[in-house]
Amino acid sequence: MTELKKVIKLRTVISTSAGMAIATSCYLAGIQLATILVGELAWISILLAGFLCLLSSMCFSELTSLYPTAAGIKLYIQNAFNEKVSIIIGMFYVILGISMVGAESYLLASVLSGTFQIFTPLYDKLLWMLFFIVFVVLINIRGVYITGLVQDIMTYSMIAFMIGVSIYTFATHDINFSLAAQSAKFTLGNIIQAAGVGVFLFVGYEWVTPLAEETTDYRLIGKGMIWAIGILTVTYSLFIVAMYTGLTPAQLASGTPIPHIVFGTNLFGVAGTITFICMSILASVTSFNSGLLNTSRFSYAMGRDNVLPRFFSKLHPSYATPWVSILFLGGLAIVISLTTLFTGKYLFIILMAAALECFIYVVAAVCVIKLRKKYPQKERAFKIPGGYTVPIIVIVVFTGLMIGIFTDVSRDYLGRELFKNYWVAVVMAGFFLCMVLYTLMVVPIFKKKAQEKEKTRVKRRPGKS
Amino acid sequence: MATSQEILEALADYQVQCNENKRLRKMQRDWSKLLHFVAEDTKDTFTMNVVNGEIVSFEAGLNGTPDIIVTSTSENFCDMFWGDLNPSQKYLAGEIRVKASQEDVVRLDAITMIIWPDV
Repeated sequence: MTELKKVIKLRTVISTSAGMAIATSCYLAGIQLATILVGELAWISILLAGFLCLLSSMCFSELTSLYPTAAGIKLYIQNAFNEKVSIIIGMFYVILGISMVGAESYLLASVLSGTFQIFTPLYDKLLWMLFFIVFVVLINIRGVYITGLVQDIMTYSMIAFMIGVSIYTFATHDINFSLAAQSAKFTLGNIIQAAGVGVFLFVGYEWVTPLAEETTDYRLIGKGMIWAIGILTVTYSLFIVAMYTGLTPAQLASGTPIPHIVFGTNLFGVAGTITFICMSILASVTSFNSGLLNTSRFSYAMGRDNVLPRFFSKLHPSYATPWVSILFLGGLAIVISLTTLFTGKYLFIILMAAALECFIYVVAAVCVIKLRKKYPQKERAFKIPGGYTVPIIVIVVFTGLMIGIFTDVSRDYLGRELFKNYWVAVVMAGFFLCMVLYTLMVVPIFKKKAQEKEKTRVKRRPGKS
Repeated sequence: MATSQEILEALADYQVQCNENKRLRKMQRDWSKLLHFVAEDTKDTFTMNVVNGEIVSFEAGLNGTPDIIVTSTSENFCDMFWGDLNPSQKYLAGEIRVKASQEDVVRLDAITMIIWPDV
């Protein structure tokens, strides 16, 4: 078998996986995590969250080695369960995933409106949010792709920058770990609860699996995810502790949505503000761009498969990009962003994304077990060692973390209640129910229509009409 | 199972349909790729050369270093080149496997979608 002219190397798999996870909302999630626990010891929960994500990545690695295709998520759920379940979960994952843009665009808008005042803070945020989403939608429709080299440069620069700033902070600030360990907040329960939020820091690492089609060896995807999670764990552990240390108690108490900008300003003045703003824009645009790229291709495929209305598969006449899908998802992102702007509940979406990730990890682990039973002989380039141990741990732990998120109460730094997290479960259940109803009631109509059309179509192949 | 000759005949028709479709040619005007097709059941292989959206040549066997490798059954290839099969559905079902960038996967599917919109 010949190989492709252009193949993706491990370095790019790692940078893509890590790049998807690094976003502006991660800084806020990090501070939220540090607030639940004790800031100086936030790294313990981050290490735990990283380790758990590492276990889940092993499930994705085995599934990718079984189905090395961009359609992987639909394919392995379909083969483990059935087509209806794969449609429900696939669309639930994609639509709720795009909702993260709500939090991301709000936070980026907060970053920019806090620095460059044009009108009023509200209008400025609105302006930046729309600008940010429309910009990403346009470059997606135009079909501007980030090359592997550019992705490598951007991701590794961000990581090096975060580690460098952390080291500088540790060198210039006093950190008292033993005093922090004596805090009443430093409990096993809080460590686990903070790890639940910590899962958000890794959201999106698994979106690298579609790159399996561009690699020489499918095992590179698994290796890449493991490396990416390892690098992210170390980077976040250092940076979140440094950021917490670098903020004053008053700044922490203010509940600012842009802690990293405040931190940057504290450290380096205006130069710090500008540098952190640039990093924020880079992180947000790359993760949203990749997210929209993947989800719009998924919607396109669903349109072609008669799961979504056919117009979702319309391609741009000049750029061959699925412009209807991109516009639809961009519109959805704007609606969610506006909701976030007017309610101010960006933390709600962060928790929803963390819970969604937990759910998907559980689904992946269940798929590993079901597919091993269903197709024991099927070739796997990678098989998780230790039998069912890892998938079972993933199922138990991430179900527990998800329940932990839903049963908790979100509070700010001063301990004031923001909202009860069961509302996150209610919203997610509502979305899930919509997907179930759509799959059971609407999809059969599209499928039947397509079948009837197919029957009347004259086959072109000689002897097949 | 479709024979190598049948697939070559289907490819000949596919070439004409592609090259005569103005809409497709406009969309794929910057798309120049070397494609390999591998029929797993018959072990037949084919090479197709696309330059600026125009299929300039196709032949049996594997030649050159490809940008895209498509693997499936001979029947699927024959039906796909005759426009009787929706490649996306087969791709989502895992019956057609593609080694390429995501952009190229969409562009490959676009050929069928533009020429035979009802499929």
